[in-house]
Amino acid sequence: MTIVALLLSSSFANGQYNISGKVSDDKGRPLLGASVYLENTLDGSTSDSLGHFHFSTTEKGNQTIVVSAIGYATAGKPIEVNANISNLEFKLKSTAHDLESVTVTAGSFEASNERDKTVLKPLDIVTTAGANADIVKAIQTLPGTQQQGTQTGLFVRGGDASEAAMVVDELIAQSAFFTTAPGVAARSRFSPFQFKGIAFSSGGYSARYGQALSSVLELNSLDLPDKSNVNLGINMAGVYASGAKLYKTSAIEATGYYNNLQPFYGIASTNFDFYNVPKGGGGSAKYTYKPNKDGILKVLVNYAHFESGTIVPSPFVVGENLNFGIKNDNAYSTISYRQQFKNKWSFYTAASYSFNQDDVNYGAYTSLGKDDRAQFRAEAKWFAASKLSFLAGGELQNFNYSKKFDTAKWSTKNSFTETQAAGYIEADWSPIYWFAIKPGIRYEHSAMLNQTDLGPRLAMALRAGTHGQFSLASGLFYQIPDISYLLYDNKGLQMQQSTHYIANYQWMKGDRTIRVEAYYKDYNQLVRELLATNLPFDPNPYRTLNNTTLVNNSGHGYAKGLEFFVRDKKTIKNLDYWISYSYIDTRRLYKNYPMEATPDFISDHTLNIITKYYIDQWHTQLNVSYGYGSGRPYYNPNYDYAAHPEKFMSDRTPDYQNLSLTINYLRTIHKWFSVIYFGVDNITNQHNVFGYRYSTDGSTRYASVPALYRSVFVGVNFSLTEFNKDEL
Amino acid sequence: MKRYILLTAAIALLIVNVQAQNFKETLQKTFVTFDTSFNMQTKIEQSNKLSMIAKKWNTEWVTHYYASYGKVILSYNERDEAKRDAYLDEAEKEKDEAVSILTKENDETYVLNAMIANARMAVNPMNRWQKYGKIFTDNLDKAKAANPDNPRIYYIQGTSKFYTPKAFGGGKKAAMPYFEKANGLFAKESDADITKPSWGKTANTYFFEQCKIED
Repeated sequence: MTIVALLLSSSFANGQYNISGKVSDDKGRPLLGASVYLENTLDGSTSDSLGHFHFSTTEKGNQTIVVSAIGYATAGKPIEVNANISNLEFKLKSTAHDLESVTVTAGSFEASNERDKTVLKPLDIVTTAGANADIVKAIQTLPGTQQQGTQTGLFVRGGDASEAAMVVDELIAQSAFFTTAPGVAARSRFSPFQFKGIAFSSGGYSARYGQALSSVLELNSLDLPDKSNVNLGINMAGVYASGAKLYKTSAIEATGYYNNLQPFYGIASTNFDFYNVPKGGGGSAKYTYKPNKDGILKVLVNYAHFESGTIVPSPFVVGENLNFGIKNDNAYSTISYRQQFKNKWSFYTAASYSFNQDDVNYGAYTSLGKDDRAQFRAEAKWFAASKLSFLAGGELQNFNYSKKFDTAKWSTKNSFTETQAAGYIEADWSPIYWFAIKPGIRYEHSAMLNQTDLGPRLAMALRAGTHGQFSLASGLFYQIPDISYLLYDNKGLQMQQSTHYIANYQWMKGDRTIRVEAYYKDYNQLVRELLATNLPFDPNPYRTLNNTTLVNNSGHGYAKGLEFFVRDKKTIKNLDYWISYSYIDTRRLYKNYPMEATPDFISDHTLNIITKYYIDQWHTQLNVSYGYGSGRPYYNPNYDYAAHPEKFMSDRTPDYQNLSLTINYLRTIHKWFSVIYFGVDNITNQHNVFGYRYSTDGSTRYASVPALYRSVFVGVNFSLTEFNKDEL
Repeated sequence: MKRYILLTAAIALLIVNVQAQNFKETLQKTFVTFDTSFNMQTKIEQSNKLSMIAKKWNTEWVTHYYASYGKVILSYNERDEAKRDAYLDEAEKEKDEAVSILTKENDETYVLNAMIANARMAVNPMNRWQKYGKIFTDNLDKAKAANPDNPRIYYIQGTSKFYTPKAFGGGKKAAMPYFEKANGLFAKESDADITKPSWGKTANTYFFEQCKIED
């Protein structure tokens, strides 16, 4: 029997060898959990906390030993098994940097549901205190923007509102804001709930877009809804209802709303009186169809009517009030189709038509403004390789503006028609994981100005460490003169120009982001009014131009600045905050400015602190925002400008400050998911001043103030998602 | 001497047998060790072994299925976000392999898709719930269409409800009927054949009991 035992053990000893060694990472640190085995066998083991592994095998001869670990490139080498093997050493290379590719971030903030690595999410925008679910108001908490209270629009890096384009599904939104009385800031027409992605570019944007000297705000509408749903809401500004019915490959959605600001203005002490409180309503319908996995068709129609009558300080005669009445009708429809083929090709085509009408009475004068726009876009993207793609496309725009004054004084109609064609091509190439480059060029032709331009664009990104990266963006941008000039006389006018140079550093790790961005922007060919005498200066932004006003493109200017952005969702549990600070130095000679000056919408220093705190136990979200803007320039006629030209626009208003709060309480009542929200804007009732206007003799001045200081807003939203009855 | 020859022959036969052994036993043993262990190191070891089994018997869909399952579970247990995603990349590769052997998805691979989506979401819930929430429900719906009696569908749905905050329609009360339904279906399921997945029973019972305890 002993012989048998011996025979047995020797038989095994002869057929079995021990293999051992160590696995470490590229920095020589021991690697835990690596799988080490002989290929196509079950002989292997896993490395321990010291990186050691050992196993025995009955295999003999030439074998391949394989080492693999999550986050590291798999290593292998041939070995000959005919004795015990020890002290095998493996060094695995980290693939961490391959997991994230470098992306260009200079000049752009992206909020997307589809990508992980974005600074903001569409939901973050909805919940920003003081923004009242207005996309543009929320965007104004990001660096590069100006605080607003009396003017409508987005003011980006020294540019005025006309220089920022709003784009929905790659189509220009012609009337992106509601029309209001002079001196009353209007909100944008879009609800943040309509969009899956929002990208805000404060400069250096892609060749896909043009006709915006400073900024593009890009909105991408939602695809098929997740489930059929019904959404109902009531708040101090009105009531609304929406519903979506989801079929197998398509969906129909509809919304309807009626707004009346009586309850809202009723309890607030407004700075203006209303003889016709803002009211109106509208609706939309949307059809979405997915013919296949990678294609989507969207058809949308939208209509809204609003009217208001406001007693506002007259922009024409300082110190007097004026009845300003407006009836606005706005309709737009879009159709778009996107199709992707095997991750190789992506095609997109879209068309839209929009119509807007403003029926206005300025005291005793009436005017009727009409504009419409038809546009078409088609583009293709070719994913030539995993890190190389090409985009090429073209767009056509046709728009008409007319303004008819039906009074004894001006019985005139002014109008213009413009047709624009554009083509663009852009490459996106990342030859190596730490570098990406995006060159592009855009061709633009204006029929009205009979002018053709080429706008080159260039952006690149360079990885700096695991979490950091540098980006650069630059480009040449064109825009037709402001509508107010084109309506009267456009003979000889040309495109206005701006050149952007942007550099940024971004560090992003998990839920923490830090960004620093510096830029320089050069303005050329700005439109100037050639007045016989431009002093005394007329600071009225609503001043009426006429056919005798001579204009040319001799204006110019610059903007430069430094911006910081910090976001942190991690340090304190349930607390999410961001801080943005912008410094700007800008001067320009344009419009009726007698000399170069900082425009009246510029605060040199702007600060926003946005906080959101979720209290689990109470299902309550507490959002607090603080906004600050240093004093803004205004025109004081009491200086002797002949002797002291540098005094022009040198006076500054007091600083702007705003503290606001919203509380969202979430709960499910039966099957209804409910959000009850309560908000206070300008809690401290700060009397913010956005400028001053002087009486003709210069003896009395009147402050430009917002429609409201402190305001309270309350509402509730109920949503019901289809409960699948056969779920159980 | 004759005895020795016989013995040697028997041993030789034994070795041949070990090598020709059906993969089922190895798979069964490895998977059970993986599934019942709470020790991270053991789990990683056994998951590595599941991957090796999938390589060795790479024409059996079920070996890839378990290799994928192993990586999903490891992803849940990992803290590093990049690694969690890397595990899921592996899980997806193995799942794709299983599907290509099957030539089309079955109820178990749909459940696996849902699990992968759920694990992707768990890496970064605030940013990912919208995208992966839909993939999760879509795949469970497809699994249900393929085989409404698969208990893992309801078990997975239950755990998702269990971890969803009450304010968003989740919580123990909402989750309980799912575990209850799964319990009934698990009782009818046999665990005799490893090539017919049957995991989840113990965990389902645990969650079901948890749901009975008031908050």
